[in-house]
Order: sequence, then structure tokens, then C-alpha cells
Amino acid sequence: MTAVAARPARRGRMFGGALPYILLSPLVVFIGALSFVPTVDTTVEAFFRVSPLNPPTQFTGLGNFRALFASSAVTGAWVNTAVYVVIGVTLSVVLGTVIALALRQRFRFRGIVLALVILPWALPAVVESVIWSWIYDPTFGVMNSALHSAHLIGGYHVWLGLDRWLTIGLIEIVQVWQITPLSAIVILAALQSVPLDLYEAARVDGAGAVQAFWRISLPMIRPALAVCTVEALILSLNIFDQVYILNGIAPLGSSVMLQTYLTTFQNLNFGGGYALSLLMTVATAVLSMAALALLYRRPEAALWRWRYEASGRRRRSARSRPGRSAGRWRAGPSGCSGGW
Amino acid sequence: MKYSGIFSKRAAAVALSAGLVALGAACGSSPGNGSAGSGSGSSDSITVAVAYPAPPAALLDQFTKQTGIKVNWVNIGWDNLQTKIAAAASANTYFADAADVDWSKVGEYQKTGWFYPLNQYFSPAGLQSDMPQLKTFVSNGQLIGLPFDSSFLVTTVNQKDFGKAGITTMPTTLAGWTADLKKVGTANGIASPLDIQFAAAEGLSTCWYQMTAAFGGSVLTAQDSPAFTSPSSPGYQALAWMVNAYKSGLVPAANINTTDYQGFTTEMAKNRVAAAMCDYSGSVASIYNVPSSSSVVNDVEYIPTPGAAGAGQNVANPDGIGIPKTARNVAGAVKFIKWFTETENQALWAGLKGSSDVVSTFPMPDRLTSFDLMIKANDVEQAAPLDAILKAHAQPPFPNGAPPWYVQFSAAVQTNIHEAAAGQETVAQAVSAIAAQVSSLKAAG
Repeated sequence: MTAVAARPARRGRMFGGALPYILLSPLVVFIGALSFVPTVDTTVEAFFRVSPLNPPTQFTGLGNFRALFASSAVTGAWVNTAVYVVIGVTLSVVLGTVIALALRQRFRFRGIVLALVILPWALPAVVESVIWSWIYDPTFGVMNSALHSAHLIGGYHVWLGLDRWLTIGLIEIVQVWQITPLSAIVILAALQSVPLDLYEAARVDGAGAVQAFWRISLPMIRPALAVCTVEALILSLNIFDQVYILNGIAPLGSSVMLQTYLTTFQNLNFGGGYALSLLMTVATAVLSMAALALLYRRPEAALWRWRYEASGRRRRSARSRPGRSAGRWRAGPSGCSGGW
Repeated sequence: MKYSGIFSKRAAAVALSAGLVALGAACGSSPGNGSAGSGSGSSDSITVAVAYPAPPAALLDQFTKQTGIKVNWVNIGWDNLQTKIAAAASANTYFADAADVDWSKVGEYQKTGWFYPLNQYFSPAGLQSDMPQLKTFVSNGQLIGLPFDSSFLVTTVNQKDFGKAGITTMPTTLAGWTADLKKVGTANGIASPLDIQFAAAEGLSTCWYQMTAAFGGSVLTAQDSPAFTSPSSPGYQALAWMVNAYKSGLVPAANINTTDYQGFTTEMAKNRVAAAMCDYSGSVASIYNVPSSSSVVNDVEYIPTPGAAGAGQNVANPDGIGIPKTARNVAGAVKFIKWFTETENQALWAGLKGSSDVVSTFPMPDRLTSFDLMIKANDVEQAAPLDAILKAHAQPPFPNGAPPWYVQFSAAVQTNIHEAAAGQETVAQAVSAIAAQVSSLKAAG
């Protein structure tokens, strides 16, 4: 015991309490060099005219920002991106929840299905976009072929590039296809951590499956839903690969990230690109924090509120039906399958 | 004292971390050092980055045997390659020892100084007579790149399809061309017989310059001002003709998202269309007569581009190769450029000694002496008609050369024509938007 206790003391003397900081140094270096320094640099240079075609670099104040908001391509891209976000967040969280609920049930080949569900998430966005470009192809695409065979369309359609909202919707479907699996897995993990006795108690209390979902599952998985929402929000805000591959640089479905790329590397207007990047960073941070503030609730809080409401119901029930035991609510095993 | 000691140790640790951060940042951003070399890098290999497949390995091996320099060939799509060159140059990072210098980038590269002037290695005056498109690569007296092909836009037709419609004499006017295409479509069961690309990409911009030339003009004046704002101007008429061709169904609806190369390989080469405007010189050899990927082998031929009143001009868009300022092996790159552009090799890439030496998608040689070799060798892949078009009709798209702001101009051109074809704006609105962009770019210098 004495020898074991002496080791930390010696180490402490050797490094003088600085050991944690020394161990953290590599991380600080990486985060600093790869994230902090570029962020500061971008923030500062957003207020300068930086263009190799128009030297020298000059302070322009809010000039870059004014130019961005005067550009119809950029303002259109903000509107498009807002639509990408609404579709992406809504569909990925709703579908992720539905898939998680389905996967929570026990059935044959559940493991294989689980692996297949994860597959789209594991593929690079570029690969998926190329696959979907074949699906949407107006001449050879599966989509036209399937819809035509089902007599849902009279002739082959050009899906992308002609109608703004249809183009945005179809592009976002590709992203939803990619990000939904992660949402499903995160929500599934949260669902499996909900104690089974809650569902049993609810069943005893006369709650149906839908009611149990709304009153138990949903409040208990709110942290997971918050994480999924923020994840979908960030990815939708930063959508680039799908837009670029499926629709090129056409303004019709252009996103803010695509405009950032074009401003910076096509137009060689680095100052404008920095400004747009800064606006996107601020938008991402504000929206993510708002989503967390709205959605995130500790599951314990939901549990205690539910238990408080349930005990109220039981008291009322006991008054009307003498002989029923309130103690049964605490009974029952805890597990991770079954129930809603 | 205790707190002071802890503080000083923590401060030392933080200072150490901050120092490392600063060091890392400095290493990542130091201009001119480390990654950015000036010919002092490896002398036994070079990296070549162009938008073309590599020449056959046996021929590259010959270069290695002659010079001791191994070539690492990087083939990147044209649009992406331009971005990579800009990103690497602006970050002062090594990218390649020899890289693509497109005709449209010459003004930009001269202004930014991203490429070495090649005047000390090659004599523009001495090469001009053999390389008719060399002057396209000279800006303010600096030779920014050397052309490695004599690409110009051409019109190609599937003469078998035209024959089925009873058309044996090809039309020379756009009115006759439109009427004949409708007949060809009906005779061959092709609903939309003409390939013109409408994806918002560089090919759409270039096609507008070509169609403007067919209408007898140019989109910019010698002072780089818009020459297309009047409805009677060739540029305006060309844009209206293109949009109408799409909206009237002469061009497949799917072409709204089709790039130039996609159109040639998936439509013309598969006989889904019967003609292509704004095709590449060299497509017959490198795309249509390749049996493994084409169903129109020996059916496609070049014709003089139909114009408003007789055969029109053809816009020249040659590819060049130059040496970025961040190259590590400048001497090796110079040797490679000499080898890559020499007379016999240029003819080899175009099929002088059979398909085994051909560089896929290579248009036509940069040198007239290479054309002579090919014509002497029994008119390899229609070298004679191309040689005739090159000498008589090929012209640069802009009288004053590509302006330094060409990229922004082209972005406005391609997006607005695309939008007009998609029905998002009218032809007049597209023309106004492009003209406004030119004015803005000129005002910004």
C-alpha cells in the first residue's frame, strides 16, 4: 500500500503538477492549429478585400457582407439552404424515430437489417450522390422507369434543374437517405435505455401503445432527439456534395456552402468567401444552440414529471377504486426490449 | 508561494502549448518555404496534372529512359482541375510540376503570377508559324503556357442518320440546319436529334461563344465590353437560338443537366442524337470511332459549322501546359513539356501509328507539322478536314484574349443561359445579367 501510494507522489514532484497540461498539449496543438487559428484568421480577413486578382489586401469593413447580401445568387442560396434544413431535419428525425421503433422489436435477421440500415451512413456523400444521379437520370434512371411502369407518369421526366422546389426536395432526399441511419441508431440506443417498468406501469394504468410513446418514450429520448436534430441541422446547413454533383453550380438549387466555394475558388474572392463562411458559422452555432435549448431535457426530469403525474392519477384512481395498490408502480424488471 | 508556483508551472505548460500552436500554424502558412519550392525538389520525378488521360505507359517509359525522369500523371476533370490549381497557388502549396493552362486562364495566371513565364525556355516567335494557337497563351508579352493541342469547336453529324433522311449535302446555314435536323429526327425516330449541353458548366459558356461566332461575331469587343446586348447582335441572336433549340425540343430535355463530354459520350456516341454542335475537334477519333464504347463507329464526320449566312467561324479553345510557381522540379517540367509537344509525339497522341498510341479524348496536334505527318500517313482520323477548318475558320473567342476576370464572366454566362433554358428567366434577362456582370468586373479592374 505504501509503495503504491508513493508512485503518484514521485510523479507529482517530477512534473510539478504540470503533467495534465503536458499530456493535453498535443490536443491543444491540434485543435489550435487546425481550428482556432483558421477561425480567427477567417474572422479577421472577412473584413478585408482579399483577392489575388485585385491586390493588395485592404480593409473594407462590412464591404464583403454588403456585397454578399446584394448578390441574388447568395440570397437565393440562403433561401434554398433554409428549405434544405427544414426538409432534412424534419425527415431525418421523424424517419429515424420510426426506424428506431421498428428496430426495437425482436424479429428474425434483425442484425442483418440493422447492418443494412447503417450502410447509407457509411458511404461517402459523393458516392451516394453519383448513385442517385443515376436514379434521377431522365434517360436511363430507375425513378422514371419505376414510375412509368406503375403508370404514375405518362412519359419520362427531367427531375433536376427545371423546377426549383422539386430540385431542392430531390437533392435533400439524398442527404436524408445518408443521415437518417445515424439518427435511427442514436434514437434506438435511447429507446433501449428506457426502463421497461415504466411501460408496464403505463400498461397497468390503461395506456395504449400510442399513449405510451407520447408520454414515456418521447420524453425519455428527448436528449437523443436533440442530438439528432443538431446533427441533421449542421449537415443540412453545410450541404455541398449532393448539390454539386446532382445540380452543378446552377443557382436553382444552390446552397450557401456551394456559394462559398464558388466565391472563394471560382471567383478568387477570398474576402467574400471568408465573410460567407463566418456568416455560416454564426448561423450554425445560433441554430444549433436554439435547437438544443428547445429540445434538450434530461430524461430524469421527464421521468420524475411522469411519475408525479402518474402518482396523481393513481391517487385519484385509488379513491375511486378502493383496494388497488399504488406500490405496484415501482415494481417490474428493467430491460431494453419490448414496449414503446 | 504555493499558488504562485502552481501558477508559474501552469503558465509554463500553457506557454509551451501556445508555442507549439504557433509553430504548427507557422509551419502551415509559411510562404515560399518547405512545400513551395523553386526547382530544388526531387530531380528524378515530376507530377503532371492535366484534364487528359496519360499517354500510353510505353511512351512515358521512353521519356523516362531519355531523361531519367519518372512521370506521375494526374488526370482530373477540367472544372475540378481549375479549382485545384487556384487553391494550391493561393495557398502557395505544391500541387504539380507541370499543370494545365487553359486558354481561358492565361490572363488570370499572368495577372496573379501563379505560373512561370516560359519565354526563357521556348521562343514564341520561333514557334508561332508551326503552332497557330500559340499567341492565345501570350499575355503582356509573357508566354504562360505552351499549347499541347489545337482544340477548336466543331460540328459533327452522323452521316448515316442524315443519309436515311435523304440529306447528302450538309446545310451551311442555321435555317437549313434546323429544317434538316427535323427531317433527320423523323426519319430515324429520334425525337430530339441535336446535342447541345445546357448544364451550368464551362462547356455551355464556350458553346455560346461558338454559336456567336457562327452568327458572325464575338461576345466581347476589343475593349472587353459586352457586344451582345442589342437584339440584332450575333451574341444575342446566338443565345436566343440556343434557348429556342432547347425549348422547342430540338435538343433533348435531359440536356439541361448534361455537360459537354457527357453529351458526346452518352448521346452522340450512342446514337441518341444525330448531330452535335460545340463538339471537340478530335472527337471522331477519340470518342466516336472507339468500338468498345461507341455504337456509331465510322458514321460520324466533321462539317463546317452552319452559320447565319453560310459556314461560320469555329472558336479555338486549345489546352496548354505550364509550370506553376510552386513546382519542385522546374527543369524536369521543361524537359517534359518539350517532349510532350514535339511534332511526332503530337501526331502519335492523335493516332499516327494506330490506336495503341492514342491519348483518349485528345483533340488534334498543336503543330501544323504534326498535321502534315498525319495527312501523309493516309489522312489519319480525318486530319485533312480538320486541318482545313483550323487554317480557314478557327479563331480565338475574344479579340483581346481572355480577360483576367474570365472565370467570373464565364460563371455569369453559364448560369444565366442555363436559367434561361430552364425557364427561370427570359433571354433578355439573361443578356442583361451577363452584361451587368461584365460592367461590374471591368469597374473592379
